[in-house]
Amino acid sequence: MRKDAQKNIPARSAVAALLVCAAWCCPPSQAQTPTESPAAAPLYKDFVDEAGRTVRIPQPVQRIVSLAPSLTETIYALGLEDRLVGDTDYCDYPPDAQKKTKVGGAINPSLEQIVALRPDLVLVTKSLNLIETVHALDNLGVSSYGTDPHTVEEIISSTERLADVLGVPEAGTTLGADLQRHLADLQQHLNGLPARRVLFIVWSDPLISVGKGTFIADALRLAGATSIVDSRQDWPHMSLEEVVRLQPDFLVFAASHSDSGQNDFDVLAERPGWRGLEAVRNRRFAVISDAVNRPAPRIVTAIEDLARQLHPEAFSSHPEDEKEKKPPPQQQLSLGITGASSGDRVLLEACACAL
Amino acid sequence: MRPLTLSRLLTHCAILSAVLFVVVVIALKLGAVPVSLYGLGHDLLRVLFRQTSQLSSEYQLIIFDIRLPRILLGIFVGASLSVAGASFQALLRNPLADPYVLGVSSGAAVGAIVALIVEPHLALAPAVAALLTPVGAFLGAALTVTAVYFLGLREGQIDSGTLLLAGIITASFLQAIIMFFMSTLTGGNYRGMAFWMMGELSTPPQHIVSLILRFGFFLAAGTIYTTASDLNLLLAGEKEAMHLGVDVRRVRLVVYIAASLLTGLAVSVSGAIGYVGLLVPHVMRLLFGSDHRILLPTAAFGGAIAVVVADTLARTVVSPAELPVGAMTAIAGAPLFLYLMRRRLT
Repeated sequence: MRKDAQKNIPARSAVAALLVCAAWCCPPSQAQTPTESPAAAPLYKDFVDEAGRTVRIPQPVQRIVSLAPSLTETIYALGLEDRLVGDTDYCDYPPDAQKKTKVGGAINPSLEQIVALRPDLVLVTKSLNLIETVHALDNLGVSSYGTDPHTVEEIISSTERLADVLGVPEAGTTLGADLQRHLADLQQHLNGLPARRVLFIVWSDPLISVGKGTFIADALRLAGATSIVDSRQDWPHMSLEEVVRLQPDFLVFAASHSDSGQNDFDVLAERPGWRGLEAVRNRRFAVISDAVNRPAPRIVTAIEDLARQLHPEAFSSHPEDEKEKKPPPQQQLSLGITGASSGDRVLLEACACAL
Repeated sequence: MRPLTLSRLLTHCAILSAVLFVVVVIALKLGAVPVSLYGLGHDLLRVLFRQTSQLSSEYQLIIFDIRLPRILLGIFVGASLSVAGASFQALLRNPLADPYVLGVSSGAAVGAIVALIVEPHLALAPAVAALLTPVGAFLGAALTVTAVYFLGLREGQIDSGTLLLAGIITASFLQAIIMFFMSTLTGGNYRGMAFWMMGELSTPPQHIVSLILRFGFFLAAGTIYTTASDLNLLLAGEKEAMHLGVDVRRVRLVVYIAASLLTGLAVSVSGAIGYVGLLVPHVMRLLFGSDHRILLPTAAFGGAIAVVVADTLARTVVSPAELPVGAMTAIAGAPLFLYLMRRRLT
């Protein structure tokens, strides 16, 4: 056998030759960075995005691909839906966004589908999308701009900045001022009221809530509530024991329909141990639109909605607000609760990504 | 064992490379954006004749900058995993041996996560920083195999049972560490669990990393191939091999290091793609016999074919979204493995 091996030098060299051939045949993975030069040589402008990257963006931006539901909503809120050529499977609000060409999920979009849409700009958000996606787009010569809001205030300023990048600064200023006015009105109503201690339920099994650094925790603060969870993690797993110890005044659910939120509460109340919560025994809970899960302008509506449910006395000028769990009146912004929504899934994806 | 002839080896390799070629063409055609086979052939010729200017730029981007690099990555990852699997199986004389059973992928994942944690504190140039994760993954893999190797020693000798056990325990320990990191770290841009658990080819590695992967593959696979006839003798048993003049310790060390290198490289660019290293060598053994001089090259082709097919499915089944390629290899691999196992028993 040993000798046999010695005799087979030709066989070995044949394999070696094959390997060398294979190595030679493989072209380098990136032949060249493509240069995008559409017929009318566009102007470029440099922007620093919220992740600190300097990005060169063609002006005006005509074809946008959004890789996050919140960005899709923001584009619609700015009135730029005609320039949105692609979005993700989870972009379901407004319903018209579902009709856009889909490029896959936020975490695993199809690069080739994005490239095929010939976008001037791909929008990403740091809390949901992966840095690998951004690097891959860079390597393909596709511009991408990242947002990274952590508070409601930053959601508004981020929206205004995005409007600037997309070449519609006035729309951004108008929208921003409108949102600010709503928040200021709300603060006037809530002025002097003690904050309700709430448990915001992102996911009930396992129990996941929000950490204090998230924009959701900030949204709760603006709605006259404070999260009982004091965690530096963004999406902390909570033990029921801890929740019972902290005894929240209210449970807060974010749901696509107020019925499904009610349902969530009933399911939770049946679970062993949850009767230990006073809020459960007294059925003290609030259901708000899952818009609160997305760092987009619509979050302001969800904040107002929550404030009305938690502090009905502050809005007593409206007679129908006397009862606690009454569905809120139609909001002025006309951005109500979404239809068939996968907000929860998106959020879970966001959790997975943030972890 | 039939004697090895050059023509037999070349025939097998030619058949498999023809299969691989067909698979690559199909993989180039299929995807979220439709491409006709005729158009593809036409355009490939244009590229050969350097008339690339006639191609539309998105089309060129999609085929040559997205699909082709991804397919090439799949080829090298698949070949590396499969050759590593065949080597480990021979080395440990255990049909269950596989790169992941030895904890390599978990080690790589821990290394990558540690690299991500320290990266912001190092103030590196962006080009260097981008390399830190694959380097971390590779170091993690290397450290783990070294640790497992020493844990698997018994009276100075490698004992395959002990080594496998050491690998399994190390792997589950490291998995626990990964879970710990993933659930305690905040704010960073950490790649999802799915990447390290299931493997993905969706994001191309840096150019330099893919060059290293290719070079490393030929170096390590070539090294293992020089010991192919020793591995054949090892199948008869260690003592027997020693009596026949095989330097068992040297062969063990060389093959162990080379196979770990292959696995570490593959994991650092693609995460943990399971079943390829375990299953492809078994299939190749059934098809072409257990002579390692034929098994190793055929396993390389087989692994490449398996991963390219699995990745094409991963790209197209839920298009335009994508599945992790490891989910595809597991869905196809687990039943096939059970089938092979039952067949051997009866």
